[in-house]
This record gives sequence, C-alpha cells and structure tokens, in this order.
Amino acid sequence: MERQQRFMSEKDEYQFQHQGAVELLVFNFLLILTILTIWLFKNHRFRFLHETGGAMVYGLIMGLILRYATAPTDIESGTVYDCGKLAFSPSTLLINITDQVYEYKYKREISQHNINPHQGNAILEKMTFDPEIFFNVLLPPIIFHAGYSLKKRHFFQNLGSILTYAFLGTAISCIVIGLIMYGFVKAMVYAGQLKNGDFHFTDCLFFGSLMSATDPVTVLAIFHELHVDLDLYTLLFGESVLNDAVAIVLTYSISIYSPKENPNAFDAAAFFQSVGNFLGIFAGSFAMGSAYAVVTALLTKFTKLCEFPLLETGLFFLLSWSAFLSAEAAGLTGIVAVLFCGVTQAHYTYNNLSSDSKMRTKQLFEFMNFLGENVIFCYMGLALFTFQNHIFNALFILGAFLAIFVARACNIYPLSFLLNLGRKQKIPWNFQHMMMFSGLRGAIAFALAIRDTQSQPKQMMFTTTLLLVFFTVWVFGGGTTPMLTWLQIRVGVDLDEDLKEEPTSTQEANNLDKNTTKTESAWLFRMWYSFDHKYLKPILTHAGPPLTTTLPEWCGPISRLLTSPQAYGEQLKEEDVECIVNQDELAMSYQEQATSPCSPPAGLGVNQKASPQTPSKDNIYEGDLGLGGYELKLEQTPEKFQYALPTKGPCQNLCKHTHIYLQRHHSDFHSNPGEKPLTRKRKREQDRELGSGKSSSWTEYAPGKQPLANPLLGDLIPLRQGLDTEKY
Amino acid sequence: MEPGDAARLGPGRAAWALPPRLLLLPLLPLLLGRGLRAAASASSGAAAEDSSAMEELATEKEAEESHRQDSVSLLTFILLLTLTILTIWLFKHRRVRFLHETGLAMIYGLIVGVILRYGTPATSGHDKSLSCTQEDRAFSTLLVNISGKFFEYTLKGEISPGKINSVEQNDMLRKVTFDPEVFFNILLPPIIFHAGYSLKKRHFFRNLGSILAYAFLGTAVSCFIIGNLMYGVVKLMKLVGQLSDKFYYTDCLFFGAIISATDPVTVLAIFNELHADVDLYALLFGESVLNDAVAIVLSSSIVAYQPAGLNTHAFDAAAFFKSVGIFLGIFSGSFTMGAVTGVVTALVTKFTKLHCFPLLETALFFLMSWSTFLLAEACGFTGVVAVLFCGITQAHYTYNNLSVESRSRTKQLFEVLHFLAENFIFSYMGLALFTFQKHVFSPVFIIGAFVAIFLGRAAHIYPLSFFLNLGRRHKIGWNFQHMMMFSGLRGAMAFALAIRDTASYARQMMFTTTLLIVFFTVWVIGGGTTPMLSWLNIRVGVDPDQDPPPNNDSFQVLQGDGPDSARGNRTKQESAWLFRLWYSFDHNYLKPILTHSGPPLTTTLPAWCGLLARCLTSPQVYDNQEPLREEDSDFILTEGDLTLTYGDSTVTANGSSGSHTASTSLEGSRRTKSSSEEVLDRALGIGDQPVSSRGTRLVFPLEDNA
Repeated sequence: MERQQRFMSEKDEYQFQHQGAVELLVFNFLLILTILTIWLFKNHRFRFLHETGGAMVYGLIMGLILRYATAPTDIESGTVYDCGKLAFSPSTLLINITDQVYEYKYKREISQHNINPHQGNAILEKMTFDPEIFFNVLLPPIIFHAGYSLKKRHFFQNLGSILTYAFLGTAISCIVIGLIMYGFVKAMVYAGQLKNGDFHFTDCLFFGSLMSATDPVTVLAIFHELHVDLDLYTLLFGESVLNDAVAIVLTYSISIYSPKENPNAFDAAAFFQSVGNFLGIFAGSFAMGSAYAVVTALLTKFTKLCEFPLLETGLFFLLSWSAFLSAEAAGLTGIVAVLFCGVTQAHYTYNNLSSDSKMRTKQLFEFMNFLGENVIFCYMGLALFTFQNHIFNALFILGAFLAIFVARACNIYPLSFLLNLGRKQKIPWNFQHMMMFSGLRGAIAFALAIRDTQSQPKQMMFTTTLLLVFFTVWVFGGGTTPMLTWLQIRVGVDLDEDLKEEPTSTQEANNLDKNTTKTESAWLFRMWYSFDHKYLKPILTHAGPPLTTTLPEWCGPISRLLTSPQAYGEQLKEEDVECIVNQDELAMSYQEQATSPCSPPAGLGVNQKASPQTPSKDNIYEGDLGLGGYELKLEQTPEKFQYALPTKGPCQNLCKHTHIYLQRHHSDFHSNPGEKPLTRKRKREQDRELGSGKSSSWTEYAPGKQPLANPLLGDLIPLRQGLDTEKY
Repeated sequence: MEPGDAARLGPGRAAWALPPRLLLLPLLPLLLGRGLRAAASASSGAAAEDSSAMEELATEKEAEESHRQDSVSLLTFILLLTLTILTIWLFKHRRVRFLHETGLAMIYGLIVGVILRYGTPATSGHDKSLSCTQEDRAFSTLLVNISGKFFEYTLKGEISPGKINSVEQNDMLRKVTFDPEVFFNILLPPIIFHAGYSLKKRHFFRNLGSILAYAFLGTAVSCFIIGNLMYGVVKLMKLVGQLSDKFYYTDCLFFGAIISATDPVTVLAIFNELHADVDLYALLFGESVLNDAVAIVLSSSIVAYQPAGLNTHAFDAAAFFKSVGIFLGIFSGSFTMGAVTGVVTALVTKFTKLHCFPLLETALFFLMSWSTFLLAEACGFTGVVAVLFCGITQAHYTYNNLSVESRSRTKQLFEVLHFLAENFIFSYMGLALFTFQKHVFSPVFIIGAFVAIFLGRAAHIYPLSFFLNLGRRHKIGWNFQHMMMFSGLRGAMAFALAIRDTASYARQMMFTTTLLIVFFTVWVIGGGTTPMLSWLNIRVGVDPDQDPPPNNDSFQVLQGDGPDSARGNRTKQESAWLFRLWYSFDHNYLKPILTHSGPPLTTTLPAWCGLLARCLTSPQVYDNQEPLREEDSDFILTEGDLTLTYGDSTVTANGSSGSHTASTSLEGSRRTKSSSEEVLDRALGIGDQPVSSRGTRLVFPLEDNA
C-alpha cells in the first residue's frame, strides 16, 4: 500500500522532470526553427524580419498551440494550507505527510486574486520561467557582449552625446512617459475602468523607467548589414547600451521609493533617498565592474597566460562572471556591473590577450548573446499566450503607445538640438528622425516588466510592454530599410571612405563659439585620455609609454615594477622604428594642423582613415584624436612618442592604415636593424625611391583614385600622386 | 536480510525523485529564488497597511539575504576556479607535472571547505515542521496561507526522519551544497559531449574492438568483482559490528557500478602533453569515455532491480532479466537518440547553406546537441549517454559539413565548457569533503573499497587484454597493460553517481568512500603518471604522424609468436569482417548522404533509386566529380583495391614490409583530403595487414594527390 503510494509519487516526479526536459526541448526546437528561418531570410536578403522578430513569431505560434491545443491538466498545487502557527514565511518548510518528511523551498508570494487562475493549465504553468532567470542567466551575457563590442572608435568620439542621450534622455523619457501615463490612468479612473488608488504615480514612473530601455537590436543589425553611417550606428548603439543600465537602476530606485506617511505623496527625503540610491548603485556597479576588469587586465598582463588560450579564456570568462556575482552579492546591480566590466575588458584586457583568446572570447560571447537574445524574444512570443494573468486594457495600451512616441521625441529632438550647439559634427535632421524612429523596446523592458507581475497595475504594465515590444520590433524593425531610404541616410559606407563627410562638417565646425563649447566639454575627456594614455594603459596593458617616463621620479620602483618589459623600447627596436617614425609624422602633422582653424575634423579624418579592424592600440589615437584634437600638439611631442607603440602587431596595422606607404619599408627596416629613426623628410625620400621600385605592390593601396580633401593627408597626396605618375 | 520499511527506499528512491524544475535552469541554478526582491520591494511602495509592510520587509530582507548568499556561494566557486587557473598556469609554465589542474581544484576546494566548515558561524535555517494529515502524498508545489498571505513552496526533496535535525545546521554550508542533479543536467553533459566530439581520432577506430571490449565487458567484470568483494567486506563489518544500518547486495553492486566509471583525465592530460604512445592513449581515452556511459546505465539498471516477491533483496531471475533488459533498452535507446540527432544535424548542415553564417551554424550545432540530451531525458533514456553518442556522430559526419570557422568555434566552445565544468566538479569534490554534512566514515569499508577497486581493475584489464591479444595484430604489450591498470582513476562520473543519492546510510557510506577514492587516485596515481611512464618504458614524444615504430614492434611480437598468428589472424578477420562491412557501408552510403564527401550516391546506389540518390547527393559532389575526376577515381580505385586486398589477405599470412610506407604516405595525404581520406585511413587502420601486403599499390595514387 505504502509502496504503491510511493510509486505514484515517484512516477509523478518522473513526469515532472520529463516535463522540465520537454519545456526546454520546446524552446530548443523553436530556436532551431528560428535559426533555419533566419538563414533562409538572410540567404534571400529579406530584411524586413530580424531573427528576434522571427523568434517572436515562432514563440507566438507555439504559445497558441500550447494554449488552445493542449488539454488543460489540473495543476496539483490547488490545496491551500492554513498555517496559523507561522508568523512569517520561512525559506524552507518541512512538511510531514503521513510520516514522510518533505522539504519545501520558498518560491514566491502569490497575491490573493492569482490563486484561482493558478489552478489552470499545468503545461502553461510549466512554460513560465522564473523571471529571475532573465536577470541572472540570459541578460548578463547579452549586456556583457554589448559592452565588449562597444570598443569602436566612433563610440569614444561620440561619448559625450551618447552619455547625454543615455542619462538625460532616459530620465526625460521616464518622466514624460510617467506623466502621460498618469494622465491616462486618471482618465481610466474617470471612465470607471480602474479603481482609484490602485495605480499610483510611482507606478506610472516605474512604467516610464522600464519603458525607457530601448533595444534597437533589429535596427542595429540592419545598419550593420547595410553599412549605414557609422556615427549614427554608434549613437544608437551606445545609447541603447547605456540606456539599459540607466533604466535598470532607475527602475530599482523608483521601486524602493517609499515615503514614510502617504505612500504616494511627494516626500523630499524619500525622493532624495531614491536619487542617492540611484547614484550609489550606479557608481557602485560601475566601480565593481571596472575593478574586476582591471584585475583581469593586470592578471593577463603579468602572467604569461597567453601561452594557454584555454586558460586565458577561462579566466576571462570567470572573472567577468565574478563581476556580476560580486555586484549581486554586494546588493548592487549585476547587469550594470557586467556592462562596465565588458567595456573595460574591451579597452584594456583585450589588448593583453593572445590572438587566439581574442577570437575565442569574442566568439564565445557572441554566441551566448545570440542564444540569450533569441531565447528572450522567443519567450516573449510565448508569454503572450502562456502567461495567465494578462490584463488587456485598451486605454492604457493606447496611452502607452502615445507616451513612448512623445517621450522618445522629447528625448531625441531637444537633446540633439542642445548637443548640436556643442558638436562639431552636427547630428543632422535625418539622423535625428532615424534615432526617433529606432526607439524599439526589447529584452530589458520585457525583463523588467516580468520581474514583478504580482499586483494588478504590474500585470497591466506587463501586458502593455509585451504588446509594445511586439509592435516596435515588427513594425519598426521591418520598416527600417524603407525608412533609411526615405530619410536618405547613406548606406554602404565603407569604413575607409568616411572622408566624404569631411567637407560639410568642416564648414560647420568653423564656427568659433561652438568650438569653445566643444573644447570645454572636451576638456574633461582630454584629461581622461591623457591620464588613460599615460598611466592606465601602461599599467594595465603592454602598450603606451613606459611608466618610468610618465610617472614622477619618486615612484620609480613602482613604475619599474608595473611597466611590462615589452613597454621598454629596447627589445623591439627594429619593429619600433617604423612606428616611431610613423608617430613622429602623426604628431608633427598635428602640430601643423593646430595652426589651421579646421583641425578637429581633420583629426577625425585620420581616424576614419584607420579602419576599425585595426585591433587595439590605435585606440589611444582614436580617443585622443577624436575628442581632443588640440591637446596633441601640446603634449605629444615626438620625444614622448618614442615609446608610444612598442608592440608589433597593432603597430603595423596602424602603419598600414594611416600611412600605408610605411608598410613598404618593413622589409627594408628588417634588413638594416640598426637604423635610427628617420626624419620625416628622409623617410619620404626613401619612400619615393621605394615606391618607384615596387610600384606593382602599390596598386592595391593607391588611393589616388578617390578624392582626398583631407588637409592632414594633404601632404601625402603629392607623394602619392607622384608615385602614381611614376608608376604609370 | 529481512527488509524493513526503510529498506524499501534503500536503492535510491529519492535518487531518481528528481527536482522538477531543475532542468529549467541552464546555467545558474543557484541564483534563483530571489524573485521576490523586486517583487516585495515594489509592492512595498504600494503597500497600505503598516503591519503587513513590516512583515513584508522581513520577508524581503530575508529573500535579499538569501539571494546574496547564493551569489556569494557561487562567487566562491568562481574565485576558486580563477585561483586554480592561475596556479595551473604557473605549473604549466614551470612544467610541473605531478599535479593536474583537477587535483589542484580539489585542493583549493578542500581549503575553502575547511574554512567554510570551521570558520563561519553556524546559523540555523528557519525550518518549521508542519504536520499535514489530510493529504497522502507530496505535491510538487504547495500553497501556504500564512496569516492572510499566500506563499508558494516548491518541493525540494524528501528527508529521512533521522536527518531532520541535521538539516537545521549551517546555512552557509547548505548554500554551497548543490542539488546533485546539477551535475547530471548541467555539468556532465558538456564534459561528455566534448569527450565524444574529440574522439575522432584515427586510433580510436583502429582500436574500436578492444575499446568496446574494455568498456562493456570490462565494466561489467569490474562491477561484479567490486560488488562481490564489497559484499564480503560488508559481511565482515556486520560480524565486527561496525555496521549500524542495512547494506544489501544490490547496494554493493551499485557501488561496484558507480566506482567502475574510470576517468583518467589527469593521466590523459599528461599523455597528451608528453605525446605518449597514441595507441595507449586511444585505448585509455576510448575506454574511459564509453566506460562512463556503461556505468551510468548499469547503475540505473541496478537501481531498477526490484524483485517481485516479498524479499526485495534476494535474487529473482525475472527481476534480474528485467534489469538486463532495462540496461540494453536504455543503452540502445540513448545510442539511437544521440545518433539520430547527430544525423539530423548533419543533414541540416549539409542541405542548407548555413555555413555562410558561422554564428547560426554554431548555434544550431549547440542547440541540436543539447536537444539530444533533453530528448533522451524526456523519453526516459539517459541524457548523458545520448550526448556522448551524439558527440561522436557529430564529429564523424557534421564536423565535415561545417565551415572552417564553425569548426574552430564549436571545438573551442565545447573545450571551454568542458574545462570549466570539469574543474568545477573537482573543486566541488574538494569542498564536499567538508561541507557535506552526512559523511559516514567507515575505515573497514574504505580499505575494502581500495582493495576492491584495484582487484577489480586488475581482473578487468589483464584477462581482457589476454583475450584481446589473441585476436589483435598489434598486441597490447605488458607495459601497456600495466599502465592501463595503473590509470584506473576515478573522477567526475563516479562522484556524480555517488552524490545523486545520499539518502540512505549505505549510500552515504558509499559517497564518502567514493570521495576518498577519487582524492587518492587523482593525487597519488595522477601524480605518479610521469614516473610510471618512464618506469614502464613507454615511449613518449611520439609524433602522432609517425607511428610506424609501434607497428614494427608489435609485428616483431607477432612474428615471434609464429604459430599463433594464423589463428589470431582468423579471429581478427572475423571481427574485422563486421567493421569492414560497416566501413564500406559508411563510406558508400552514409558519408555521401550526410556529408559532402565520398562518392556520389548515384554511383553507389543501385539504379532503381536513382532519383532518391540524385536528391540526396550534394551538388558539391557532382561539382567535384568533373574537375576532380582523377582524384575521385583514385579513391574509387583505392577503395576497390582495399576490398580486393581484404580478400587477398587471407592468403598472405603476415607481410609487414610495406606497412610503414603505406601509413606514412597516408599521413602525407591527410592534409589535402580531409574527409575521404579518413575512410581509407580507417580501412587501413583496421585492415593493416591487407594493406601492407599491397602497400606499394596504394602509395602511388595517394602521392599523386599530395
């Protein structure tokens, strides 16, 4: 008798476990289907449906099937036990059922009105994930990947604008959405659709903050594929990434806003506490993330771990994960920490990794990002039908649609106007429209909304968020390509021929008072970059000038200890030479530039000339050139650049991309290694000789075909043209 | 041997009572259950009543605390792994070989375990025991109404009544104790898949017969011998009076099964590093991989052994055969499942041009392989076994269809996963010695187990090697046998099987013993590998490309045996017949169907299924056919030769002259022909002798290609 009973229970559990496998299997199959469909689309160059959109469609279909085609089996948990003895809910519960003690683990609190629908369909219940999975498993790799791939020169060029959009923009958008929604809620109360007191202003703000997290992954994928203007791409990408971080922390601080007396009246103390919380959590997470990345950078720098790419990759992965866990353990936001960890890893650690590990880490996180993203979007589709507490409220949904458009407009247009006052490269109207258009909502908004679906307002918010995500991903995502053509945004921009943009921006940049605004805001960044270049880079990576030269005398031992042997020029003399020469040229040309009024765009020109494939170390220049075109002439004299680029690979890349002709010298230098750095003139002479000698190999680089309006490269043009003429 | 009530749940009732939601959590099983942080905090903003707000605050705090502890415990593991990686780098850098990374992970685990055990204050968990008489069975979820609020509880597990007190011990220790199913559902699959995926070595297929013999027969032999010895030990303990609870023969057999899973990862790493003899490597690696699969299925079928009568631990023929049936069923089912998904992946990658998008391809590959696991689990088979065979199939077919980038991606991905998971398990083992709270140390049992595993290993290796040597042309030398005997390390699989069920007294004793055995073997035997290698005169520094020397050695042995060789040959021929059939089938039909290589199906299939053949043959094969006519014809020709020479070889007894040139020339062509060459290779591997007799004929066309 007893045995049979146990048998039943065992069978039960077996079934249970198998259903666990079945659920995951369903997701796996959905993803496989998505992958195959996406392949088909990509193969035929259909761009109206991104993979995330496809995943949602499949999720919807599966949700429909599960909802209406499966027999609703009763869930077992119907019984409600009354425990008067317990004053609070313990984390574990031991229950004695006919002399057999079972251990139960606390799962969640269920609000009263959810108990009944709970008894519905067991399969639907099974297909519902614990929302914390999104925050702990699926989102971290996505966010980390975003941070890790942020390392684009253009990101640092546009850092100011991106930060403005991300912080100010999100705050504006949150408040605007919150206010509009509050208006709609009031209207709903008038219309009798909502009880008064259910939906507070904080709830509206909460909705606003979670709705502010944009996620234009669809748009970005299309941009990437079509090679849309890089500045636009960077603005959108950077904004969306930082946006997420801001929105998460903002949501959290709004949710803990708890005034003492009246929970919905304004309470200055509570408000400032929330603000303090926001700042504290944000700064803490930032510090935690970058601290871990710095540790990783130091570890990879001072150990020769690069001999074993597997170990290196493992270390990289584990430390990045630790950043997340430490932040969570410290009560901060793990996702934000992971984001900044990713950015810092890309900026420093990436340079220390072996090339094998670089590939591995990139691919690993790319893969995890892909899977995580598609799982989330797939789940979204599924959730529309399997989530059992939907509250569809037409008015609220309508209001939300209106609110996000208004808020996006309030975010983009005024901020762009303000930024344009200070920017040298204006954000043109078509870019602004495109940014306005790209206000898609995605994974973060969904994850934030699903995190709490206990109360009625939260459920309404969740439903609305889901619909908004669907609408924006399908409609906006699908409309990206037409929109691009309609707005006449350049596509097919080759990274090397960004120079076309130059003339227009040069004209705009001439305005003096704008320039001063720019320099003021650039001042901070200039400080940071010179600090980064002189101290952080040398400490954390093998690049940069040796610390012994940049640090003051009295901390000599430390600097010697921290400087990697590679940073001293001695060992790599021959390889260095080219780069040093190259550096001289760069620095000198900058000095020349300083006299001409339109120098910063010229600096940009140099940057854009260097293609993004140039791996890592040229980032120094990117940053420096991009943000503070001026400071170079002050600080980076040729002497200081002597050691600037000691390592071999990236250096060669730089040479290749900025001053292509230097490559021709490579073999030359190797043949006479003792040669001292050449002056620029000698160098050029040599070039001429060499070019004439090896004109055949020049053909692939010969840039004479494209118009070179760049003043910096101007002095190279005669040379090149000369070469060309010599060649013909 | 009177079975009591508690005894009925002896053979692992709770072991297979799996926590339901576990499969849902792909990576971070520990981080869950914090769902209420935001929930409670958000609702606190809207909370109206003061009293409930206080309560909620308490719950919220507790939940936050719990989540924080989860994070800390996971962080502990990750920092442990980080430390391990750094130390390992130091060791590798200095070429210290006496300690493998897994051994090191265990040491660090031990240290942290000691700290956690004795360095943290013992906080008690808030456990309340309720008595519910209105229900007669346990539900998976429970709704509890606590003063007007409803809370949902999920079933975690069953606790034997004696252990209720020990549950309320150290909270931190409980946090770092994982649900054992984590090992089976998350950590082991990538390890096993990686093993299968990297099995694609020529030498594996060359030694397939021996490996299968070691894996299946050997594991069974070792299981029974260990089981019987342990039964003797248990009887002894009963006499001495050291046994405080029941311990049945099935328990002994179960122990035999779990401890038969060898895992010589330490030894293999050293072999790999030192380039020890490839045949030995292949034998050990292949054995250990298949071994695991056999041991899992064996242990689960022993658990399933439930005699019908009253006496649940007496021998019952029906139940025994049922267990055997279960073993065969699960094994073949898992095998089929794995192979089928592998084949499906191969077909998908073949017929779509997915290789233009390596990311999609990698994702598909990963998902399909994971689906294998889930599918097998959902059908009641063993996921880990299915994943192993899926890995082998993927390596054999799908790998050839992947783009170059995807190949390296998949390899690296699974390498990383494997590395992390393995070190995680080993560091958990170290931790478990101190944090596991129900250890039962019984010196007699432990000593008995040590003796038993050595005897079991010996009784497994030496007789089987003797029998195999009768049939093998490359004899397994004595030093190889000693080395294999020596490499009987226990590792992750034995541990995972042992920890799966620690409900009963016998199981706890087994778990403790297994843990100690793993420690001992990994540290002592793993550390002694390098001395042992030099002591046994096993060649190291063998380039995998130049393996003729062992061939010659073994041929000398063979020639010395003289009269035996004819008989041996016949045995070989018989066993090789099956493989020959399989390989010609594989080469003629499977490879062309599943990959882009091989002869087009239109030539191999009979005429009447021409349409189907045309449909299944990839266009690339046709494309290749015209411009590469010569090469193709070469292969077809050589194939013909091969089959011809097979026929011939019965006549020529032993001609070892040409084998050297044949195999080296094959190596030479290996770079140019990735897949079709393997067929030849394998055919050569198995039928070394026939090829050697005709070696000269083979060499020339191949050299033309190279």
